[in-house]
Amino acid sequence: MKESSDTRVLPSTPVDRLRLYGVFFFFFAGFLYVIGGLVYRQLIQSNDLKEQSDTQSRRVVLRPPARGRIYDRNGFPLVDNRARWSVKADLASLQKEFRAEYLRLLAAEKAREAVSIDREKLMEDARVRVLQGWLNKVWFVIDETNRNTKGRNWVAKLTPVTAPAERQINIDELRKHLRERRALPFTLVNDLAFPGAGQALTADDGTKSVARFIEQFPVEGPIRLDQDNVRTYPYGPMAAHVLGYVKDTDMLPDNVDDISEVRVESMQRLRYTGKTGAAGVELSYNNILSGRSGWELWTKTSSGYNQTRLKFSEPEQGGNVMLSIDYRIQQATESALGKLKDPQGNLLPAAAVMIDVHSGEILSLASQPSFDPNRLADRVSSKYYDEIEKTGGWLNRATQGLYPPGSTFKVITATAGMRKKVVDWDDVLDCGPFFRVGNRDYPEHEPVGYGEVNLDKMLAVSCNVWNYQVGLRTGIEALAAESRRFGLDAPLLQTISDMETGGLPMTELPYAASRGLVVPDRAYKLRIGAGAWNDGDTANLSIGQGYLLTTPLHMACVAASIARGETRTVPSIIHSQERTGRHIGSVPIGLNADQLEALRGGMVRCVEEGTARVARIPGLPYAGKTGTSEYFKKGEKAHLAWMIGYAPADHPVVAFAVLVEGQTDTNTWGGKTAGPVAKEMLETWWPIAVKANQDENSKAPR
Amino acid sequence: MDQNRQGARASYVALAVFVALWILAPSAVRRFNREAFVEFQAPALHLLGKSRDLATFWEKKSRSVEEMAAAGRDLARVNAALEIQINKFEDIRRENVRLREITHYNVPAEYMSVVARVATRDSSSWWQRIVIRKGRNDGIRPGAPVVFGNTVVGRVTAVHLTTSEIDLVTSPGFRCTAYLEGDDQNHIVLVNGVASNSLGTAKARVSVIPRDYSIPAGQPARVFTTGMGGVFPSRLILGYLDGGTYATQVGNFKESLLVPSRDLYNLQEVSVLVPLHQNPGEALMQGDQFQ
Repeated sequence: MKESSDTRVLPSTPVDRLRLYGVFFFFFAGFLYVIGGLVYRQLIQSNDLKEQSDTQSRRVVLRPPARGRIYDRNGFPLVDNRARWSVKADLASLQKEFRAEYLRLLAAEKAREAVSIDREKLMEDARVRVLQGWLNKVWFVIDETNRNTKGRNWVAKLTPVTAPAERQINIDELRKHLRERRALPFTLVNDLAFPGAGQALTADDGTKSVARFIEQFPVEGPIRLDQDNVRTYPYGPMAAHVLGYVKDTDMLPDNVDDISEVRVESMQRLRYTGKTGAAGVELSYNNILSGRSGWELWTKTSSGYNQTRLKFSEPEQGGNVMLSIDYRIQQATESALGKLKDPQGNLLPAAAVMIDVHSGEILSLASQPSFDPNRLADRVSSKYYDEIEKTGGWLNRATQGLYPPGSTFKVITATAGMRKKVVDWDDVLDCGPFFRVGNRDYPEHEPVGYGEVNLDKMLAVSCNVWNYQVGLRTGIEALAAESRRFGLDAPLLQTISDMETGGLPMTELPYAASRGLVVPDRAYKLRIGAGAWNDGDTANLSIGQGYLLTTPLHMACVAASIARGETRTVPSIIHSQERTGRHIGSVPIGLNADQLEALRGGMVRCVEEGTARVARIPGLPYAGKTGTSEYFKKGEKAHLAWMIGYAPADHPVVAFAVLVEGQTDTNTWGGKTAGPVAKEMLETWWPIAVKANQDENSKAPR
Repeated sequence: MDQNRQGARASYVALAVFVALWILAPSAVRRFNREAFVEFQAPALHLLGKSRDLATFWEKKSRSVEEMAAAGRDLARVNAALEIQINKFEDIRRENVRLREITHYNVPAEYMSVVARVATRDSSSWWQRIVIRKGRNDGIRPGAPVVFGNTVVGRVTAVHLTTSEIDLVTSPGFRCTAYLEGDDQNHIVLVNGVASNSLGTAKARVSVIPRDYSIPAGQPARVFTTGMGGVFPSRLILGYLDGGTYATQVGNFKESLLVPSRDLYNLQEVSVLVPLHQNPGEALMQGDQFQ
């Protein structure tokens, strides 16, 4: 039997065994290495590797919180939040369209036999053309003025060539987006409710624009609809200087450090854009209004898109703030100011304030020209910014504007004179057409003078010569001291304790006028290098002219203080039921009953038959004092029109101040120009006060 | 054996040629083919719908006399109640006409109503779509809202000669704006269908609900159309908020699920509200040219 060669077994040799051991050892060492590596990775490096993996595959999205609301004293929302709907293009889904357009452009270039073809430029052009096409479609749907005029041939109103900026793709923004945020959708329309930055839509029009897109634009496709929160000011420019506005911030919120679970700092995160107060109450009370940010932890795809939400923490809305403003009085104040125009129809710069005599709470505070904070709540167009800058709209004239108070200061001159006993309430002074001080005649505003004038008549007709005489008798030091006693040199601070403001912290008023106030005296004039003080300066100061500079809010406080028979009124923009009416630094005015009665009586007579008679309100006797001071505007003399006062005359409840900056070619006077504004404010306030009083009485136990 | 292999190879080649032709064919040809296929199956859909109607008819006809008498009695009661309502509405209509004449207020009708029977519905819940037995020949146009009574059923998405396809409220392709009952400030919210798996319950999502909104006590909150988008008339009912999942919050808004107010799977008949004037959205759907 023949043994087959393939079944034959060869005997092993010692050399073969050695090789076998070598192979075993090699595999064993390799196995040990693998196991060792595994142990090292799993037991020693596991935490580091897990963290590294999380960092690479996860992303934290920070959610900015909704800011708190701002209410008026009756609970009407002055600042709220609204849903913002934006239209975005998903660039990843548009790749095919970009490519097709690029090839088309390339073919056209080749057909043109271009010498050199810039392919990158062509690709950029292709992107812009495709996105522009989609933007045109969006506008085609949301523009309500589009009508099907020719059967089924639509004619959109604006073509991209003539369209305003918001209807065209901004190439610079697109470049920036592709450079920095390529993984995210590109924004075509930032806010559907306000699609045109240059046009202010009504709330109804804005909602229609949103609704038209939602219902008419195809759901499928590369164009998405996004929602987030945006600050809204329902009354537009009303009380804009008080409320302020918000701006974007990329600073991480403080509470992010608390997110220990996800270690935010080590994670990749999308650029955070929150909101912070930029001015007014939005800035002053930012810590209350801000709220607490939320976050979401996502896994992401290899392309960088969000995939699954793993964990999240909801943002918490900020706290609410209740202002002392009454929106009805505020509206009336701004409406009255809005009627002040120069011959060319431009609004005259002006300010008006109304405060509660007892509590110091500000019921209305308006400054003109103003701005619409809605248009600053998101992206601010440089055009709108420049527009506000040009008109001087940023300045809150009621609290920041510094003006000589003119004849409204005469109440302080009179008080200083009576307190220094250089004049009494019933003293009669001879007041001619001018008063000579040194070698200069200081004029009366009445060419023939007023003859015999006492305190009562002085206030009614606003006699200058009476004040020159009393001012010079009183002296600059006493006049300056009296001004300081009324707080004209003091910044107006919110000095009410936490208890009284219902837990709100001690805070400065928005735009508190703490800089630039001037109560001049000898030292001041020397300090500014204007030489030694003279009697002419005192005469000027006695009628509220010269170096003296104050704000309308200060003068409203002076009126409130006189109404209470005190020296200081601390204004507040925050409403509190528990306010005591205690005004820090305030002392009794220091006049006897007759003197105080005469001072107040003169102010009532000013409205009844004097310089403010144009602002008389039948059935509502009130006290007032007008003023017309001079200032230089573009090198030419112009008038400032003032009126201060309080109402009602017998039991004061509110005090007010109105200031109007006249133009060089206009005829601006205290009573004639500022009087009607005061009248309109009081005519709005009076029925509100009467009704509130009736409601209060009906609640009282019988 | 070789012949078989050659035959198989030939059929593979034919298939490849066919696929290549289909890919390379101009889009107009492909669209024509799709339309032709739909029109080809349209009679079958009509037949299906009519046979269902016939089955329902025979099912009812086979009922006993007693059952029919009871049903007739119930129907008489309903008819009597409806008669009263019709009279009331007639009075209101006359009053409306009288006031319009006094004030010279003449508002033209904005929609033409086309009543259509449901031919078929997609058996899976993926597409949330039904087909009706009316189409282009009956004046139906894409984008038109579809209602049953005062309840929104969906929107026309595709129109063929004698049939139309309708995306239901619960379809992912459906989107509209709405007001919530109990929201005095009339914030607009977004309603859109949600893609669900084949065995899942069809649903729609209500989003961008203000955080401070709360459902009125003691009743499910209705969700109404706003009438602001230029597609749906105002105050039609889309459904009710599902209170059970209401607490979900996304971003700075709340979300909820919508319970459709009609059983969308048992619809026999619907009305298509064809707008008398074409809106821009419709022009986009039809690919109209605009400058």
